[in-house]
Amino acid sequence: KLFHFGACRVSLSMTEIRAGFTAIKANIQSRDPVRTLSILSHPHSLHKVKSPDRCCVTHHLFTFYVDKVFKHCKTEDSFVNRKISSIANSFLSARRKLGQCREQNNCVCGEESTEKFKQILANYEGLNVTSAAMKSLGELDILLDWMEKSR
Amino acid sequence: GDVLLPAPQSISILSTNMKHFLTWSPVIVQGATVRYSVELQGEYERDHANGSWIPSSECAPTTATACNVTDDIAASVAYRLRVRAELGAARSPWATTEGFFNRVTTSLTPPVLRVLADGHHLLVELADMGPAFQFQLLYWRKGQENRVQQKVVREVSSVLHLDTMEAGAEYCVKAQAHVEAINRSSSFSPTQCVRAQGGTSLWL
Amino acid sequence: SGELYCSLPNPRNVHFESINMRNVLRWSAPEGTGDGVLYKVKYAVYGIGKWIRKPECRNINRTWCDLSSETSDYEEQYYASVKAFLNGTCSDWMETTRFNPLTDTKIDPPMVSVSSTDKSISIILTAPEKWKRRPEEESISLLQVYPGLQYNVSVLNKKTKKRWFFSISNNTLVVPWLEPGTAYCVSAQIHVTTPVLDSGFSKEHCIATLKDK
Repeated sequence: KLFHFGACRVSLSMTEIRAGFTAIKANIQSRDPVRTLSILSHPHSLHKVKSPDRCCVTHHLFTFYVDKVFKHCKTEDSFVNRKISSIANSFLSARRKLGQCREQNNCVCGEESTEKFKQILANYEGLNVTSAAMKSLGELDILLDWMEKSR
Repeated sequence: GDVLLPAPQSISILSTNMKHFLTWSPVIVQGATVRYSVELQGEYERDHANGSWIPSSECAPTTATACNVTDDIAASVAYRLRVRAELGAARSPWATTEGFFNRVTTSLTPPVLRVLADGHHLLVELADMGPAFQFQLLYWRKGQENRVQQKVVREVSSVLHLDTMEAGAEYCVKAQAHVEAINRSSSFSPTQCVRAQGGTSLWL
Repeated sequence: SGELYCSLPNPRNVHFESINMRNVLRWSAPEGTGDGVLYKVKYAVYGIGKWIRKPECRNINRTWCDLSSETSDYEEQYYASVKAFLNGTCSDWMETTRFNPLTDTKIDPPMVSVSSTDKSISIILTAPEKWKRRPEEESISLLQVYPGLQYNVSVLNKKTKKRWFFSISNNTLVVPWLEPGTAYCVSAQIHVTTPVLDSGFSKEHCIATLKDK
């Protein structure tokens, strides 16, 4: 499917990521007891990111998940671990495309979006690493739902 | 004492139509049933998770000498796979695939297509190739090859209505399979032509 | 918070039941309690600190509470919770899992209207509307919520028993060159690719093509 992130046109297959997440959503979210905090959606909502900034913010978020989230999400459940591995590897190939597109189109993050991404990192650093990683993984549908609006 | 198990030999990957199998030669131990365990390592595990390995979903362990790793390879990145023999507490060394395997290299076969004419209606039946597949159908009225029409079919239902045909005219159809996840298509199926009612029905 | 000592068994199976984004909290009565149990309900927006009480669902004896209004922003996700009271004692608060209205709703089949001539039938499909607070409010079709929405249409020739399927993106379909004086039955389904949401097939709408003049 073709996604329009600002100047970027990227063909991404998110179906398998969505299916993989749906398969483990209940399990992962049950490991996150903190209802009062969100990594991605509060205080700033992704839905307020301006269109031109979407390419850069999406690339940042994919890097955030690859570098900070997946590696701290190992569980005792081999089925869940396998799904996380599939999602992580799918993120790698999607990030590669986003990175290429970002370079070709020189997508830069506006000030507001940079601030938003800093807030996401602050939300993440505000929790211990395993809780932060598990919460971030449990919010994958927030990222996917937001990306779908860019189709 | 524990048996010294040799690592499985001639391991290879067979991948057709997005179904991926790891195969190897059996490790023979007289009078015993040897089992095998398969593990996978994607680019993420290699570059971001200290080279860790993930046990396969189907073969941990198995007595077969082939393992369906389709569900385990759910991303278009380079994977390495390995297998070892197990007998009781004995474990053979791991045998690891030579190079990498990326599912983008899967071989795609043309879809199995059946074209029907029902009165003035052009109908098709497509064999299911799995959830990763959608189909591109090209169809045209014979003699008007420059006016080819296209339809993308995402789900295979029994009899799909393609179009209505002019009386007595002959229409031709061909189809190719497309896998969005790897952005590749098969070659086209052989063309099939049928004639609409109102003329001699020629169904090939 | 001044809560009583809560020894009452808990409400069970507390969950959101959502159809076309009409989001209703449902639960089962605590085990072994007969009549007389009352409940109160609260909900929270995921990521925001506080629980919010639902006054219309305070001291109710039914086992559901419509939270559609409170959960209508489908860019947010929600939790809800229920507490039971009986004879001066109470249960714990029992929470739902995290509810995402966009992916966790079910979609009704489309409305199907069919008309015919002697040799054709015309089908018009209407996607269900997103739930709205008041009838006079502006309607939002689920087509706007799920841009990738498509229709699968089944047409059955009652005489030959042959069934054809059509896969269409727009909401009208004309099937020409049919047999006069023949009954055709039409049913349709909504198919959303991401997130994966399929409605059931609508009930069949049968119509006969007019007899040959």
